[in-house]
Amino acid sequence: MLSSSPISRTLRTSKRLAPLVIGAGLVMVLASCTVANSGGSGGGGEAGSLLRVVLPQEPPTLEPCEGSLTSTGIVTRSNITEPLVERNPTSGELEPLLATEWEATGDTEWTFTLRDDVTFSDGSPFTAASAAFAIDRAVNSDLGCNIEGYVFGDDDLVVEAVDDTTLTVTTVRPDPILPLRLSFVEIVPESTSATEKVREPIGTGPYSIASWDTGTKLTLDRNETYWGDAPAYASTEYQWRAEGTVRAAMVTSGEADVAVGLSPDDGAGDLGVSYANNETVALRMSGDLPPLDDIRVRQAINYAIDNTGIIDSLYTDATKSAAQLIPSGVVGFNDELEPWAYDVEEAKALVAEAKADGVPVDAEITLVARNAMFPKITEMAQVLQEELTQIGLNVKLSMVDTSQSLVYQLRPFVRNEGPIVQLIQHGNQAGDAQFSVDQYMTSTGAQSTFGTAEFDAMLEAAGQLSGDERAAAYEEIFAYQNENVVQFATIAHMVGEIALAPTVTYTPDAATGDEIRLADFSPVS
Amino acid sequence: MPKPLPEPQLPPGGRAIAPLDTQTLSVVESVPTKSIPLYRLLLKDRFATAAAIVLSLVILTAVFGPMLVGDLATKQDLSATNRPPFSGADGWQFILGSDSLGRSMLARLIVATRTTLSVAVPAVTVALLLGSLWGLWAGYHRGWRETISMRIGDIIMSFPSLLLAVVVLFVFDPSIANIILILALTRIPIYLRTARAESAELQSRTFVDAARTFGTKPSTIIRRHVVPVVMPTMLTLATLEFCYVMLAESSLSFLGIGIQPPDVSWGLMVAQGRQYLQTAWWLSLLPGLAIVITTVAANVLAAWLRIATDPAQRWRLTLPRKKLIARIPVKETH
Amino acid sequence: MWTYLRRRIVSSAIPLVVVILGVFALARLTGNPANLYLPLNATDQMREDFAARNGFNDPLLVQMGNYVGGVFRLDFGTSLRTGEDAAAMALRAFPATLQLAGVTMFLAIILAVLVGSWAALKPNGIADRVSSFISMAAASIPDFWLAIVGIFVFAITLGWLPTSGVASGASWVLPIATLLLRPFGVLVQIVRGAMVSSLSEPYIKLAKSKGASSSRVVFRHALRNAAAPALTVAGDLAVGLVNGAVVVETIFGWPGIGKLMIDSILQRDFAVLQAAVLITAISIFTLNILIDLGYALLDPRVRPAGSIRKRRVHAQAIA
Repeated sequence: MLSSSPISRTLRTSKRLAPLVIGAGLVMVLASCTVANSGGSGGGGEAGSLLRVVLPQEPPTLEPCEGSLTSTGIVTRSNITEPLVERNPTSGELEPLLATEWEATGDTEWTFTLRDDVTFSDGSPFTAASAAFAIDRAVNSDLGCNIEGYVFGDDDLVVEAVDDTTLTVTTVRPDPILPLRLSFVEIVPESTSATEKVREPIGTGPYSIASWDTGTKLTLDRNETYWGDAPAYASTEYQWRAEGTVRAAMVTSGEADVAVGLSPDDGAGDLGVSYANNETVALRMSGDLPPLDDIRVRQAINYAIDNTGIIDSLYTDATKSAAQLIPSGVVGFNDELEPWAYDVEEAKALVAEAKADGVPVDAEITLVARNAMFPKITEMAQVLQEELTQIGLNVKLSMVDTSQSLVYQLRPFVRNEGPIVQLIQHGNQAGDAQFSVDQYMTSTGAQSTFGTAEFDAMLEAAGQLSGDERAAAYEEIFAYQNENVVQFATIAHMVGEIALAPTVTYTPDAATGDEIRLADFSPVS
Repeated sequence: MPKPLPEPQLPPGGRAIAPLDTQTLSVVESVPTKSIPLYRLLLKDRFATAAAIVLSLVILTAVFGPMLVGDLATKQDLSATNRPPFSGADGWQFILGSDSLGRSMLARLIVATRTTLSVAVPAVTVALLLGSLWGLWAGYHRGWRETISMRIGDIIMSFPSLLLAVVVLFVFDPSIANIILILALTRIPIYLRTARAESAELQSRTFVDAARTFGTKPSTIIRRHVVPVVMPTMLTLATLEFCYVMLAESSLSFLGIGIQPPDVSWGLMVAQGRQYLQTAWWLSLLPGLAIVITTVAANVLAAWLRIATDPAQRWRLTLPRKKLIARIPVKETH
Repeated sequence: MWTYLRRRIVSSAIPLVVVILGVFALARLTGNPANLYLPLNATDQMREDFAARNGFNDPLLVQMGNYVGGVFRLDFGTSLRTGEDAAAMALRAFPATLQLAGVTMFLAIILAVLVGSWAALKPNGIADRVSSFISMAAASIPDFWLAIVGIFVFAITLGWLPTSGVASGASWVLPIATLLLRPFGVLVQIVRGAMVSSLSEPYIKLAKSKGASSSRVVFRHALRNAAAPALTVAGDLAVGLVNGAVVVETIFGWPGIGKLMIDSILQRDFAVLQAAVLITAISIFTLNILIDLGYALLDPRVRPAGSIRKRRVHAQAIA
């Protein structure tokens, strides 16, 4: 630095400036490029023509046979694709959609009569052959569809298109609720690949996919050849934001018309609408590991939890204390069951009694809860841990992410960490108790930690019945669970919240969390 | 006429000063700096003093607070949730309000102080020591040692820290020790690169060259000549990193992979309180304020320390207040 | 310079491989993602099929070998979650983050240099105190908190800006402002500290005694020497932005690679994670090379060993 020739000095100066100039130019070029086709509509469309919906996450795919995945089904179900029959969430009845009639024509056979005036959005006609293809594809193939596992299990269906408008479906065992199961299978044309899942399907629904800016925006346009009544909005735009407060903010500031998956504190204010979704929150106990293998300890846990206190302090008024895993409206709901009383003294007494008999009540119990599974789960988990500790148990809280929580939640569970109580949320989308009890109460159920042979027999028998007998049998089962099995400590039937812009009319129902039927929206007149 | 300085020699840790600067030094010599103890220098600077007081309070809270507060931080009261602060009516423990489970905000903040500091301080210290020493060594030796060190630094820097956090915290154990481990590991490269850059720059300086010619061992050269020169920048960096680590910890909590309940840290409180921003703003604001106050105090004190420990700069702090504001370069006053 | 560049590129290849394989192994440590992708009551047979389809049952080395083989054929695998090509997903998301990070760093550097130099002119003066305080406070605020408050104040209450998304130019403001604060705060401190140091160096007096006016003194000599630590820190901040704009991307719905990475980590979508890490790592290495070149341009003494220019300058200094 003490001596530098003029040449090297100039060189240095210009070299110093050069990177700055290049950098500046580069950044300006980059900045002038738009971010991934973002020249879209930021402001609203004209009322009546564009509906803007904001979801918690982008649908990973729109494959209809994954429709039981909430993030996919919420866009596809009854919007892009339709099933043969559809369940009315409020009345619980099955209503005709692509099928007009159906009846059991044998022990294991059902026959469906289909509409003859339907075309897919690509123009191809809908026939029984399409229906057969779609059901086959979803249930029998190697695609590994979510619907297959969720609704049908291992058994395959035999489907046959007798003629253009008649379809027969044969099951392996007698299945009184086959039509209900089929309400999950969305019909796609035969041109859809049967060897791979598709991201953007063709369907018969009131809307079809116009464009999907992956990562940014998904647009559906009204299907002009739809067989039914045309929906009010000509097109729908879906966006996604992970934060509930941001979703609510989009509606309050006019950037979106509908926001879903909100919590009461997200700031939707007057534009928020609550509705009873069909989710129930409960604590599931690993009843095969001490000290949870002693029924007194499990009962004590039930007595120790202050359902009302939790609901009053954390949730809105519409949230109800739960006595069973399914809410009212689902076949099998026992409306005479009372939630467990909040009785700390009784709980302590039971624990002391068990301890006196040598049950290791001091063993560390892990309370497992999944982050962000439902609003305020963290708070609820902490309250539960506190309440259980107060009655003399040794409870450690463990908050985990989704993948981890599934390891605890599903068979074969986690067996080397001692006794586990896990906060679960169960949503019975189907409307029949069998979907819940098969998973949660049989000895080998995917989410059931234990059962008894006697209980298994009851469950098996109930599944074969239909009508009122069926309902009665399942009601009996829930009562039996609370008296004799006590695998669960049910806490609350949850309430969902959405935000609606003042220009939109919509009444949410129990299914809104799983499918948003765009045809149910209309502009305020 | 001020007396001339003795022969310029290589002062330990000092920069080599060419004869040209004896004039500057002679001005300074009239106020001997070595005899003023550090705390007196501190008291001369009001901001630094305030910062030191704040930091001492924080440290005392972290050490003694949880003992004094007892279990107030975990006592839930579902009938007293989300009480606003300064409403006075509910007793001294709710002076700062209560959280969504009715627990005292004051108590939780106090307990969180300990957790936050016990994550941030070790993480920064470990990263500082490991990264700086490594970088000094690499920068001094140049050659293949430098290249390999830089490449390893690149590896660590481009490794997704989130993945590391998720794996370590969920596959192993979401303990504080593991969080410290991750935060320290992912910050080592920044000390490494800075220390290397400074060390490499110094390596060609006259005084280092001279020491090498005298046959001094590399470790001694590093210790006596390089470290003191590089230290001020590294300390500035460390205090900035202290702040970053606290924020990183709160970002991890935001993503759900940091400190897990029922442990509580400032970062976790801010993350958990964000859902209540419109209804119970104090849940997020108070711990956020704690973070800001602590880091600002740490930075102010560190900036002051940086000048106080740099012999070439120390004189600035000894001037009377109005002379403290000096235009650079210093005007000749004799 | 070209030999240096070539050498750096080659020597960056190995760390790149190490990072990718490290991520590969680490990701698989998290276990079988079958639970996330199969229905809740999937049978064991379905789990077996899933594992076989994706090769999760093979030993780790075999899986690695298959992956590396695929990479050479430019096949980075498909996403478990969406079924799309993993590389396509990563490449689509990356420019969004790059733009965000680029503009943010550019603004942060310019502002920090201006404010930091101005503060350094009068150490402990009012300007210095105020700017120090503001920059320290700026660097201490949790980014997600700032983002949410920003949305609340500017989008909801005042209505000046959109809440989120990428729709218009105005939607860049809040994300950039949120991301900008910390780099700005940090850089102001570094620039100021380094400027104060270098402005007290003897050669500044020398320049002044040669008649240079004080602003030329500042910006020519002092700034260049203060550039080295500032550049390092700026580089690290830029890397941090690319790697960690996750929070801002999550809140504002910015379709960038940070969000993609956290989603694929939480969903155990290995192929996408690996592709995202690959792209990010390449850009980080490139950035580091550019920074080192910047050093070399700014300060001849740091030129790589063996460069003739360095020896020449060194000789001149001693003479």
